[in-house]
Amino acid sequence: MRQNVLEWLETVCEAYADKTAFSDENGAVTFAQTRARAQAVGTAIAEKTIVRKPIAVLSGRHCLTPASFLGVVYSGCFYAPIDASLPLSRINQILEILQPALVLTDAQNASLVQKTDYAGEVLFVEEAVKTPADMQRLSQIRRDSTADDPLYVIFTSGSTGRPKGVITSHFSLMSYIDAYADVMQISDADVLGNQSPLDYIAAIRDIYLPLRCGCSTVIIPKTLFMTPALLFDYMNANRITAVGWSASALTVIVALQGFDSGKPEYLRKVCFSGSVMPCKCLRVWQDNLPDTLFINQYGPTEATASCTYYIVPGKVRPEDVLPIGRAYANYRILLLTEDGQPAADGAEGEICVAGPCLALGYYNAPELTTKSFVQNPLHNAYRDLIYHTGDIGLRRADGTLEFHGRRDRQIKHLGHRVELDEVEAAAASTDGVQECSVLYDYGTETICLFYTGSAGMRDIAVHMRQTLPGFMIPRKIRCLDSLPKLPNGKTDLSALKSMI
Amino acid sequence: MREEIMEILANLRPDVDFENEKKLITDGILESFDIVAILGELNDAFDIEVRVGDLVPDNFNSVDGMVALVKAHREED
Repeated sequence: MRQNVLEWLETVCEAYADKTAFSDENGAVTFAQTRARAQAVGTAIAEKTIVRKPIAVLSGRHCLTPASFLGVVYSGCFYAPIDASLPLSRINQILEILQPALVLTDAQNASLVQKTDYAGEVLFVEEAVKTPADMQRLSQIRRDSTADDPLYVIFTSGSTGRPKGVITSHFSLMSYIDAYADVMQISDADVLGNQSPLDYIAAIRDIYLPLRCGCSTVIIPKTLFMTPALLFDYMNANRITAVGWSASALTVIVALQGFDSGKPEYLRKVCFSGSVMPCKCLRVWQDNLPDTLFINQYGPTEATASCTYYIVPGKVRPEDVLPIGRAYANYRILLLTEDGQPAADGAEGEICVAGPCLALGYYNAPELTTKSFVQNPLHNAYRDLIYHTGDIGLRRADGTLEFHGRRDRQIKHLGHRVELDEVEAAAASTDGVQECSVLYDYGTETICLFYTGSAGMRDIAVHMRQTLPGFMIPRKIRCLDSLPKLPNGKTDLSALKSMI
Repeated sequence: MREEIMEILANLRPDVDFENEKKLITDGILESFDIVAILGELNDAFDIEVRVGDLVPDNFNSVDGMVALVKAHREED
């Protein structure tokens, strides 16, 4: 049994040492180069800290970043990727929760790290890669490791205004990657096209599938997703065969009439996730790529990116609603009613997940972890933790699952998880905002903010950009004389909804 | 026309300084969803049909790029 993702890297290097593992618009690295960089970085980190400590990695979206992550893994520590384009206050929040033993960064982000509240040691990757790899030390670290050692901490939106760091083990990651590679039939012949930022959960596929399968990952420049003709050219030039993208990346291409100019000729496998895929849009993709496999994936970061998958069996009709399918291998799905009983087939229940795919919890947040990862309410005979997703689902008679929305104010926007309450808290903290309320317009996929007070729209938007990631900023902001109220004094959300 | 376009942009992204930003796309200031929204608004407001071939950074990096794009389409149609 595999215990550590580095076993994948070392095995793949036996057969594919000089093959490109990761590439971007400026360059490429082979598997052997990735391993050599990672071993050097791992040695440098191991000289500075003990094992099983968090290392924050501030790095750009380029082909050398995976080697930095893997360097942390060689040192016996776990990495927390931080997107350098996040607002400074967000980065500070993350660093405060993480309390990293070390920050690993590069010359390009040096001044950013200096601006943070972090006062600990900083390691520059340009220096670290010059460290001679101490193979004896690295083997010793590996011998002492286990499959449930933490691998990464990935931060997501938290409803209280504090991001949550989901900490995940090697075993969970390997369970997911194995299951995904099977379903997507990924082989060494595939070329993956990466769309998501590398600090985001969706990127784990693009980082680890090459190690697992010997395929290559091409990091596609972000701006190309606004210019579909150039995007397809890029995909064709790189012969991209398989993608795991947010559903919204696919819908944007259709909205921009991307297929009028051509198509990704080599694309044979498409997995989409992150939000509900409209079938009208999927049909456009199917009509243009009739021989391509389309898979709808569903699941939260807390269950290692996923829970279920649905292989779209044929051409969809625009009015169809796609099921979310069935559990991946090594994932177990329970549908529970509000009183903790199994929901009957055909009846709604909350989607709960169990199995080795479950995260180790939220980093440095024991109470939140205990609340969210709980004993299976169906028995108390042995420890059987489940995670409540907060999503409502239904099991059809044939066992296929359907997704029926949320039970709280969490939404999926542009493939990211967003707590509307967190957006609201950020807006409310702007000077001159009296009252505010945040809603999501599913039709236009827009976060809308209504507020009262003397603040200008621009003041609020600028203030929010200082605390929240770009995708969380409302695109519609409206000032009202007063917010509509219910008799109990709470804001009347349905009245606001009708004003969108 | 320029004023009208400025108003559309200011409503969509009140936080962006459209007068002075010249690399809206290249610097990643606009997101893909902004482009979808801008496209819809421009098509409606000026009764034109911007096509996928027009979606290159030059046409959307600045207000002036967008003004030129709209003008070109109006002369064409």
